[in-house]
Amino acid sequence: MAAFDIVVIGAGPGGYPAAIRAAQLGASVALVEKEELGGTCLNWGCIPTKTLIASSELFARIKSAEAMGLRVASASFDYAAMADRKDQVVAKLRNGVKQLLKANGVTVFHGSASFQSRNRIQVDPTGAGAEMIILTAGKTIISTGTTSAMPGFLPRHERVVESRGFLGLRALPATTLILGAGIIGCEFACMLAQLGVRVTMVELLEDIVAGIDTDVRRELRRHMEKTLGIRILTGVTLEEITADDRSVRGRAGQESLEAELLLVTLGRKPVTQSLKLENTGFAPNERGFLDVDAYGRTRVATIYAIGDVTGGPLLAHAATSQGLVAAENACGRYLHKNETLVPNCIFTSPEIGTVGLGEQEAQQQGRKIKTGKYLFGALGKALAIGEPIGFVKWVADAETDQLLGAHAVGPHATDLIAEAAVAIRAELTAAELAHTIHAHPTLAEAWMEAAHALLGEPIHSAPPRKEGKSG
Amino acid sequence: MVKAVVMPKLGQSEETVTIVHWRKRVGDTVAKGDVLFEIETDKALLEVESFYAGTLLKIVAGEGVTVPVQATVAFVGDPGEPVPEVVLPVVAPKKTEASRPGAAPPPQRAPAVDRRPPSHLPSGGERVAGPRVAEAPPAAPHAAEPQLFRISPRAAKLAKDSAIDPTPIVGTGPSGRIVERDVKQYLEAQGYGRLRITPTAKKLAAREGIDLLGLGRKGDGSQITVADIERLLAERPKPMTRMRQIIAQRLTESFTHAPHFFVTVAVDVTELESLRAELKAQGTAYTLTEFILKAAALALEQFPVVNGTSDGESIRWHSNIDLGLAVALEQGLVVPVIRRANELTVAEIHARAQELTAKARAGQLTPAEMTGSTFTISNLGMMDVENFTAIINPGESAILAVSSGAKQPVVRNDQVVIRTMMKMTLSSDHRLIDGALAARFLNSIRKTLEEISLWQRSI
Repeated sequence: MAAFDIVVIGAGPGGYPAAIRAAQLGASVALVEKEELGGTCLNWGCIPTKTLIASSELFARIKSAEAMGLRVASASFDYAAMADRKDQVVAKLRNGVKQLLKANGVTVFHGSASFQSRNRIQVDPTGAGAEMIILTAGKTIISTGTTSAMPGFLPRHERVVESRGFLGLRALPATTLILGAGIIGCEFACMLAQLGVRVTMVELLEDIVAGIDTDVRRELRRHMEKTLGIRILTGVTLEEITADDRSVRGRAGQESLEAELLLVTLGRKPVTQSLKLENTGFAPNERGFLDVDAYGRTRVATIYAIGDVTGGPLLAHAATSQGLVAAENACGRYLHKNETLVPNCIFTSPEIGTVGLGEQEAQQQGRKIKTGKYLFGALGKALAIGEPIGFVKWVADAETDQLLGAHAVGPHATDLIAEAAVAIRAELTAAELAHTIHAHPTLAEAWMEAAHALLGEPIHSAPPRKEGKSG
Repeated sequence: MVKAVVMPKLGQSEETVTIVHWRKRVGDTVAKGDVLFEIETDKALLEVESFYAGTLLKIVAGEGVTVPVQATVAFVGDPGEPVPEVVLPVVAPKKTEASRPGAAPPPQRAPAVDRRPPSHLPSGGERVAGPRVAEAPPAAPHAAEPQLFRISPRAAKLAKDSAIDPTPIVGTGPSGRIVERDVKQYLEAQGYGRLRITPTAKKLAAREGIDLLGLGRKGDGSQITVADIERLLAERPKPMTRMRQIIAQRLTESFTHAPHFFVTVAVDVTELESLRAELKAQGTAYTLTEFILKAAALALEQFPVVNGTSDGESIRWHSNIDLGLAVALEQGLVVPVIRRANELTVAEIHARAQELTAKARAGQLTPAEMTGSTFTISNLGMMDVENFTAIINPGESAILAVSSGAKQPVVRNDQVVIRTMMKMTLSSDHRLIDGALAARFLNSIRKTLEEISLWQRSI
């Protein structure tokens, strides 16, 4: 038996930073992980997919290099080599996490954690031969995350995979059917299409990437269909799904679909069963997630929960922020609340970055807003790099001009959103953003131009039509 | 050309009118027929439209200001046109109306109105040129006269942009006028530079006239955000509706003038409730209140002093028994009157009460239907309350507060049995009604309600 001030369950992007921060604050910290350090994000999510997408993006650019005045004789790719590179990147980062935990004095236990009581945690080691260990915890932070949902109607077959299974493939299929056109589905679809795979998507909802600003969605869908040639079927279900050695087949409405692979991206479900929460006196909510208050606390005073397992945005960076907050609160510094402004990045082609209030969301709330938009097609840098695609848009309060939301679709949109997040959290007004000098020529200038547009005085686009004023 | 917007005369009796809300701001374009502002009279909330088209150049009488009819409240014209200096007659607050015989108070120069600090701010005392006035100015009748606050336009703009209240600043300009230098020195002396506030929060504070220096530090040392300013705005005093003001005035008057004496009884309504259920099954849904109205009318006949009023020196008997029936509305409470209730049968009271309640809910009661009651019943039975006390309506000497009926264990013939019990509390003016009288009166109502054979005969 070993006693720790803080026990963190799950070493994903929420758990390992929480462990490090708690150790920095002087606590004795145990971190329990049943699989790999870094969790879904590092091993089977954000990092490996972005590594592959970097390759596919570059390949797509090479194929269209002639437009940039380049002649590339014959471009081709080796998916196995791409997958190797992905594995190397993941291994390097995973080792980095291991070193960081060691340097901060965090004790890592490899095994599956379950509660014996509110402050006794049993660790069943994953490695054979190792013995079961009991940890006593002053406070516990649950960060067990989520796994891909694989509903029962889907055949269990090697041709039917979810995202993690897909990342284990060493070769690409020629055709792929993607079930679910959410964020993960669209990212995979773009990557596969860039590598020449024929992709068909089937989505139950009326549009792709539900919840994202309508203008942004329209722009993305147009590019996915027109530029990448992805077939997107929305408002239909995929039924009568069967898989055999040759292919996967299904029916969407009247149409029969067939592909070499079915990639299932139907959302994610929380990992709580192995925790034996019944021994702590609180249970997951009806959706299976753990309810927490604004400070990250569950209904048991000594048990915190962070990241995907609490529901919320299911984003690695949200988990990290919550992990740091929970660690500080658990270590009895002053209490502070979880951040509520979470940027959302989508690594499609073109990329999407959004943060804060959306235009439709504001309308639903009956809030009076102004918007300002700027097209990358009018921006010097976007033309220079050959990516004059998409736009940025500000949403601001109609009365105070306070910046409330930002939406970007286009080149490097996922990086560009950081500036908007800082501006919104600092409660900047559109005028202040517009008056901030933005370096030229950069893509970030688009934010400044859009702020000018919001104020009705754009410099590099046509002025808005003035009402009721004559020459 | 500049046109003066005057406060219209709205009715026969209105002498003064309060501006509740300006729909247009200075600088807004105004079309003929656009609503300029909302006003509140003793009777209603009304919108005032513009007779002219142009730009709203100046607001002379701001929100919450009471002005006489025909007074100039704003100017409309072309942008940049000079606006004439205007004298805004000051109207004393309502409560001091009695101390305003004949002569109106001295007029105030209009420009000063705009520059007065917002009323919610803690005032640093009346300001004149020079040092702070240490003592309050001499009391009435000139107490309401605001003194001149001198500040240069540049200084005023700096104060406004900085979202601070300039009134505590000591002016060093001509005649003690506050100049820009004074504001700068004040900001530095008050540690304005150390204030941590987000840009939007500052803009909002400046627009809403919140004094940032009056905010104090936040406990956790974090910066002042929009949420903090919005919280302050939500806490700002807002004028109550005319209805609320009248309620406040009347209840305060009653509770401070009439020493209230309270007595409570529990009424066994078990049998009355089953009779009511029977009657409902037969097609007429009587309310319990209607039985209580009838029982009260009978008791008032028996104890006429409870149906009278006193001013502390004389007693006035009312020959009619006119019962007020308190009806709760979303905006407040109205009390329609059932006249000569003692002459009505329960069925007639039922018909009249239903009619008046429906009118009250629809906002269609006439003033005549709401005045002159001699005794009031307030029933909170549907609100699931054990017991409560009511405030006597001015002009009456008692009020009956009726609470919810509930099944309870009670002792009958040395046996514990379950009965539906309902508490009633009488508030009476103790100057006129002794405790024993109040108790006898209340028990009379109780006995009537409990005597089921009486009700069975009379319906």
